[in-house]
Amino acid sequence: MKILAVCQSGLGSSFMVQMNIQAVLKAENVDTSDIQVDHSDVGSATADSADYFFVESTLADAVSSLPKDRVILLKTLIDKKETKQHVNDILDKEGIEYTAE
Amino acid sequence: MIDLLNAKTLQVTDGSNLNWETAITKAAQPLVDQNTIESTYVDSIINVVKDKGPYMNIGPQIALAHARPDDSVHEIGLSLLKTNSSVNLVDDKHPVKLWFVLAATDSQSHLSVIQQLMGLLTDDDAVQALLEADSVDQILAVLQKH
Repeated sequence: MKILAVCQSGLGSSFMVQMNIQAVLKAENVDTSDIQVDHSDVGSATADSADYFFVESTLADAVSSLPKDRVILLKTLIDKKETKQHVNDILDKEGIEYTAE
Repeated sequence: MIDLLNAKTLQVTDGSNLNWETAITKAAQPLVDQNTIESTYVDSIINVVKDKGPYMNIGPQIALAHARPDDSVHEIGLSLLKTNSSVNLVDDKHPVKLWFVLAATDSQSHLSVIQQLMGLLTDDDAVQALLEADSVDQILAVLQKH
């Protein structure tokens, strides 16, 4: 499974989201051998780039070509709790085990 | 302590006379002054906000202003302007008091700076202290303690 954090420039904000996702996976003792997390700019993200896309909500229009059921719109990029909730939803959906705190 | 944030790159101002464009320009001024960036980099940031919206409002009262690396960036840079009153980034749904400006020379070399910055910005107590700081010395004290 691949999770891609996307932002306008692919430089700063998306990497912050990537770090938060990785921190959540680590804290929840998830086996990440089959989970890839990366970041990219909105222009290079295509439906094939990843299984799930984390995107800041003001960029919703810019990612309208991506499948909606695989796009997670974040209200606050640096909010770990919000990211964690979305990561857990994905783990539930994919049947991947994790340690809930 | 984030190395790039120091007495030269930190500023505190009232903010009531600023709009988001002048706030970003003022926040970036130390980087222009020390020749980290050209002023055209600031224009790029402002244009991308005009074009794409306030996505750089990364957390409550926090903006991370940046554009793509290009010739107008000479080295990695980070600066911070704290406005004592909020300035709206584009609209009143995006009030901001902490204006960070990030300059990157490529897509990799600044990632450690982002890591340091994230460590700071996910520390709620530190962010609260930054929002309450009304002098550069107070900001330096928060950064040193963090």
